[in-house]
Amino acid sequence: MSITLDQVTKRYQGVPVVNDVSLDIGDGEFFVLLGPSGSGKSTLLRAIAGLAGVDHGRIALHGRDVTHVSPRDRGVGLVFQNYALFRHMTVAENIEFALRVRRMSASERRKRRQELLRLVALEGMDNRLPAQLSGGQQQRVAVARALAHKPEVLLLDEPFGALDAKIREELRRTIRQVQRELGITTVLVTHDQEEAFAMADRIGVMNLGRLLEMDNPHELYSRPATRFVATFLGAANLLLARQTKEGVRFGKTAVNAHPSNPGHGSREHEVVAVVRPEEIEVAPTRETLGAIYLAHGSVEEILFTGALERMRIRMDDEAAAPLSNSNGSAVPLLEVTRTQHEQRAFQVSPGQAVAIGVRRIHILPTPLSSFTACAPSESQVEGLSQHPLLVELATRMKTRISTRVEPCLGIPGAACEAEGAFAGTTVIAAEPDVAQQTQWLLERGADEVLILPPNAPSPQRVLIHWADENVRGATLAVAASVLRHVAAAAIYVGILPDRTPEMQRPHGVRALLDARSEAQEVHGLEMRTELRFGDVASELTRQLAETPGQMLILGVCSATGVAERFGSLLTSARWPVLIVHRAPEVVLS
Amino acid sequence: MSIKQPSVLPGFGLTFGFTTFFLCAIVLIPLAALVLVATSMTWHDFLRLVLSPRALASYRLSFGASLLAASINLVFGFIIAWTLTRYDFPGRKLIDALIDMPFALPTAVSGIALTTVFAENGWIGRYLEPFGIKVAYTWIGVTVALTLIGMPFAVRSMQPALLEVQRDLEDAAETLGAGRFYVFRRIIFPTVLPALLTGFTLAFARAVGEYGSVIFIAGNLPMKTEITPLLIVIRLEEFDYRGAAALGFVMLVISFVVLLTINLLQGWGRRRLVQAAH
Repeated sequence: MSITLDQVTKRYQGVPVVNDVSLDIGDGEFFVLLGPSGSGKSTLLRAIAGLAGVDHGRIALHGRDVTHVSPRDRGVGLVFQNYALFRHMTVAENIEFALRVRRMSASERRKRRQELLRLVALEGMDNRLPAQLSGGQQQRVAVARALAHKPEVLLLDEPFGALDAKIREELRRTIRQVQRELGITTVLVTHDQEEAFAMADRIGVMNLGRLLEMDNPHELYSRPATRFVATFLGAANLLLARQTKEGVRFGKTAVNAHPSNPGHGSREHEVVAVVRPEEIEVAPTRETLGAIYLAHGSVEEILFTGALERMRIRMDDEAAAPLSNSNGSAVPLLEVTRTQHEQRAFQVSPGQAVAIGVRRIHILPTPLSSFTACAPSESQVEGLSQHPLLVELATRMKTRISTRVEPCLGIPGAACEAEGAFAGTTVIAAEPDVAQQTQWLLERGADEVLILPPNAPSPQRVLIHWADENVRGATLAVAASVLRHVAAAAIYVGILPDRTPEMQRPHGVRALLDARSEAQEVHGLEMRTELRFGDVASELTRQLAETPGQMLILGVCSATGVAERFGSLLTSARWPVLIVHRAPEVVLS
Repeated sequence: MSIKQPSVLPGFGLTFGFTTFFLCAIVLIPLAALVLVATSMTWHDFLRLVLSPRALASYRLSFGASLLAASINLVFGFIIAWTLTRYDFPGRKLIDALIDMPFALPTAVSGIALTTVFAENGWIGRYLEPFGIKVAYTWIGVTVALTLIGMPFAVRSMQPALLEVQRDLEDAAETLGAGRFYVFRRIIFPTVLPALLTGFTLAFARAVGEYGSVIFIAGNLPMKTEITPLLIVIRLEEFDYRGAAALGFVMLVISFVVLLTINLLQGWGRRRLVQAAH
């Protein structure tokens, strides 16, 4: 491996900007770190270069631990967005800088310089000053300079950011060519997904300091695991759907489309589906659709962009409407792109009613789909649905908050019973009878219950615990999903009973390490672990009370006794608690 | 280039006229008057006046002490500017504000304060006395006063240049293998050199023209601690306007030559950088 990052964390004033990033980059690989501004990608690059120290974790280059090695001894070449050329030196002096530092002889320096100038196609420019060159040429000089001392790793920090489109394309090709010719391991940081697609062998997508997913461009585009990656890499329609044994159902219409990836387990539950705009077909009627029918809709807007036509369609069945869109209208519209060929086959004008079909559906493996604020009265529901933390979570997860009034919420054995299944995550306020409410919801089939105390801030630390090994996977999946959307540290708290004999303690530690590696491998979640002794509820309460700004994710496998076991923990809740409930799957013989 | 050429900004004619008028009224005409008065003497009288031993001694002190003070400000002003731009420490804002104090103080106040401190029985002077170092009423005192009043000019002209040295440049140099001193010598120093020279020039110009603070600490012994501006005032008080004008004229010429030399040096340095590459 050329570059190995192990749980690298960097904080600025206590806030993690790079959060537990682990990564292996192979020899000669072109790796692109992609993310919006402020996602921590540049900081991570600077950490690899040694210009930013890390607070936690290890960095190795070619098997050599360089975590505490200064940048000048790391053997990396770095290229900056603003070129960072030495303006009082000529092209030749700039390129020879690293060689001069190494006291290389003048003739050797000249030879190496000619070689590099040929590589970046700038022969004969030796005696120019940077100010006499165009932006593209300056960046070529910067690349040549960064390669002069034959570094083992080339790092590029948004190298095309200051260039116009045409030059950018040309320089991209040059850099890719140089990289192939030298076979040098390269990491490029960018916020431009098109650039990432054009250059990368592998892309790692970062958001909020975390490395969310990494894979080759094609896999990432067609099979994203998170909604952030799905929407950040190209356009995507996110739709809420119901996964059933027969297939996927959108809104009222049973689509029975089989997604590109099989669902998880046989449990019927709400899922988030990704439909790319180019995978949508429009036709005059349902019968003339070639693809699987989704819904009817009317065309709101058509935009001609040359090769492609972009459309926005309002769906008649609002329950099946997309979760998010960029235009901010009340009911999001479905984004569709069509090729010239498709346009010729079926001409569409604004306002026209069309039938919509989908060619390919991808179901996100994320367990958190949408939120439903639930309370006994209309006014309480209204208040709860505007809870700042809930709104923040929903916005970041690009999902919707629906409301549901349950007059008998929390009253055991009440005459009125809940109607219909609880979809997604049910949210309740931390009322005095919150424990009863929780149990009531879990007994009626709620999969996740989020308890929000008033004014709960966005958490800095998320504690994770499961009361039963059967829900380990589900709890970790939910925790990973939550932590992708909040910049917080994850801590798994393992709790053994007080009277655990010495001999069994190693088992506890073992379970902790297993949990950690499962979180990392299956869910891409980096978490720390802590081992405690004592009663589960009181240990968790004690730890949550220690510092403010914490949240608990608690996995349980049965609804019975939840109020009793965790009553104290929930009732005194000054912190958000997310309960993950999965009944063990019944295996029929 | 013709003035009538359409320019991006309107009103070139008006502003150019105003600039010329203002420069003439405020700078050129008074200077011309000075030259005129000086030239109304005979050549012999003029030489006798400006080359008298007392005048020569005053030039030596004025320009010598000014150059020394500007050099001190070049070094220490750079260190202060560096500290203020590169480090964040409690009280940084306060120190930053203190730099401007000599700007705001009437120079006489600084002179009196310095004299109090550096006199033989002053706070600092009393400890220097046993070593035989006398500050007040010697050329050292003059230099101290000129350093004080020139300091803000040096610091304030270097600060923006240091702020502008991109951290990226240093980062780039460091990843290329350069050590801290090498980075300073080859990257930072050449980048801020023009600002250093500007700071030096301003501090020097201010020191040459200084009068108020120096006359308190200098003691004003003819031939020893008498600066040229003071000599001019003395001539004026004797109603010897021609003598004063002649001395003023000499100051004007020397100052102009020094400032022009520094400017040319600066330009030459820039060209040399370009040429060295060819």
